[in-house]
Amino acid sequence: MSYLKKAIGVATAACLTVGLAFAPASAQDKKGSIVSFNGPAGEAYIGRFIKGIKETAELKGFDIKVFENQFNQAEQDQQVQQVLAAGQLPDVFIWWPSDATAGLGSLRALHKTGVPVLKINQLPNEQDKKYIFGYAGPDDRLRARNAGYMMREAAAAKKANGGEGFNVIVLSYPHSYGGYGLSINAFKEAIAGSDLNIIGDVDEGFGQANGYKGAAKLIASVKDQGIHFVYGMDDAILTGGIKALEEAGYTMGEDVIAVGTVCNGDKQLIEEGKQFGTTLQSPLHEGQLAIKLVEEYLDTGKLENYINFTPNPAVTKETIETTALQGYDGKLYGINELCSGAWAQ
Amino acid sequence: MSMNAATNDPEIRSTLFNRMLDRYSPLVVILVALFAVVFVYGMVTAPNFLTVFNFKTIIRDAALVGIMGIGLTFVTLSGNFFLLSMKETAALSIIAFAIAMSNGYGFELAFLFTMCVAVIAGMLQGALIGLGGNPIVVTLGAAGLFFGIASWWSDNLVVSFRRPHGAEWLGSGSFLGLPNITIAFILIAITAEIVLRYTSFGRQVYLIGANRAAGRATGHENFSMAIKTCTIASVCSAFVAIAFSAQVSSAHVNYFSSEFGSSGDMTILVIATVMVAGNSIMGGYGSTLRTSLGAIFISTVDNMMVLHGFNSGPRVLAVGLMIVFSIIVFALVRRGSRVQE
Repeated sequence: MSYLKKAIGVATAACLTVGLAFAPASAQDKKGSIVSFNGPAGEAYIGRFIKGIKETAELKGFDIKVFENQFNQAEQDQQVQQVLAAGQLPDVFIWWPSDATAGLGSLRALHKTGVPVLKINQLPNEQDKKYIFGYAGPDDRLRARNAGYMMREAAAAKKANGGEGFNVIVLSYPHSYGGYGLSINAFKEAIAGSDLNIIGDVDEGFGQANGYKGAAKLIASVKDQGIHFVYGMDDAILTGGIKALEEAGYTMGEDVIAVGTVCNGDKQLIEEGKQFGTTLQSPLHEGQLAIKLVEEYLDTGKLENYINFTPNPAVTKETIETTALQGYDGKLYGINELCSGAWAQ
Repeated sequence: MSMNAATNDPEIRSTLFNRMLDRYSPLVVILVALFAVVFVYGMVTAPNFLTVFNFKTIIRDAALVGIMGIGLTFVTLSGNFFLLSMKETAALSIIAFAIAMSNGYGFELAFLFTMCVAVIAGMLQGALIGLGGNPIVVTLGAAGLFFGIASWWSDNLVVSFRRPHGAEWLGSGSFLGLPNITIAFILIAITAEIVLRYTSFGRQVYLIGANRAAGRATGHENFSMAIKTCTIASVCSAFVAIAFSAQVSSAHVNYFSSEFGSSGDMTILVIATVMVAGNSIMGGYGSTLRTSLGAIFISTVDNMMVLHGFNSGPRVLAVGLMIVFSIIVFALVRRGSRVQE
């Protein structure tokens, strides 16, 4: 028994010695520390974003702490206060507000500490741009424009083959959501001058269930006019919409051509030809880009570009298996790793 | 005064309107009449509202929330308030189903596995409530537990399974032009109503809900009743989860969160469905038929507004107003009934 106690004592002492010996060295090796405020990892897109920032931060030698909120600005504000009250400030804050307007006070509080702040995902506005050193995230307009161009291409092919009917229905984000205005305007610009004609727009909400419900009601409303194309502001909404159209008797890819964006829907719909295409928006890249910009700012004291978009290439049935993007970590990522919907299996 | 005098006239009393005046307070009649005028005006003027296709759309739209509402009605009628874990039970169930499907177990085994998970979830909550736990506190705790397990189990990722997977008939199939989900909703609504009205279990639900002491005196404890009703609610949640997963061939823990329905959170929507139909929150009064009609009512209002071109903000407002309106009217009706007694 006493032998065992001695052995445990020696082992503990050895562990402590090794730990103490390595800890300072480890801390000195770190390039800096980052605190990120963002939504919950339980949301598929944000989950991949968090994976991107954590892995890239580790690769680049940063310490990173992530504070998740449940899409709740009050909760995020409280987290900011906790971090500030703790007094141990990082080298950079990453700020993905739950609500950019309501969260302005917290952003101001972060800025007052003198620690630089990088904004994520939601484009800077007149009120908050003075508090941040840059932006990393998606370009809502580019991805919607690309979707419009894809639909134009599909419409031109249909016309060339003698097809008729170019009525478009839109399955939207909630109209109160900032991305709606950017997306619909860019999409309209892209299809302007073509035969395509928007006959209905429904904003049930985010996600597949809402896409289904919204589409079902819109179909009932405009069925008489004929539905020939559908644009989903993201693929999750579009996936639900495609189910509603199929239940209403439409054959996807023949009667109705569907185009989405974001790449957060169902890969098999594109493979089966039920969805013409999508525009890729990789949350993994968004996370990686954020860390790349943090490194650039800490190294040089400024960013080459204030606004930094992630790429939004078009993906169709023909290109789905060959689409790949190089990450900001230098690795090449395939479509299954880049998308955030039912794409992984 | 003059109203009472008018209703005493036997000739006038023969009309439906005045029979209502006789039975309910004038305020209730005016509110219902006002609502009926607005509702009928909305229906008649909404383009393509009065079509068979749209009618099917409304019922289909109501189906998933309606099925969960039916399950929850058993809990409410038995005097155990609400399960605030409805959407988390569905989240756990949808992950269980999708993981089983993605591992190639097939629809039947995946269905059974998911139902087992749901039964355990329901029994656990029922036992804690039956032992005297506050239903709100117990189910809030359970909600966190179930959501946490589902998140951890799925690693917060979308779990998908490729078509064909043998579950399409439930998610996207139809019979005689009606989606199978709609048929399931109708069958579940009929079965639940029969169980409540014509079985001894149904009568026990009402008895314990109306008067727990009387139930105890006749040998019917809330412990077993809470377990049974919570299990029914959980199984209904699981069925909805399976049907939805079968439709979209995937699952994610957030499928039943903010993305479900323009009214937002699934649990709130299900509770609204139970409440809008006039079921008593204290138990002992109401029916699953009321809940089914409540789900269809909410769906109808929402549908009508879409056809009128309203976007999501006004629609959520209108549905909210309808719920408040219904609760006020039913409360007035019940207060009137008690005064008469």
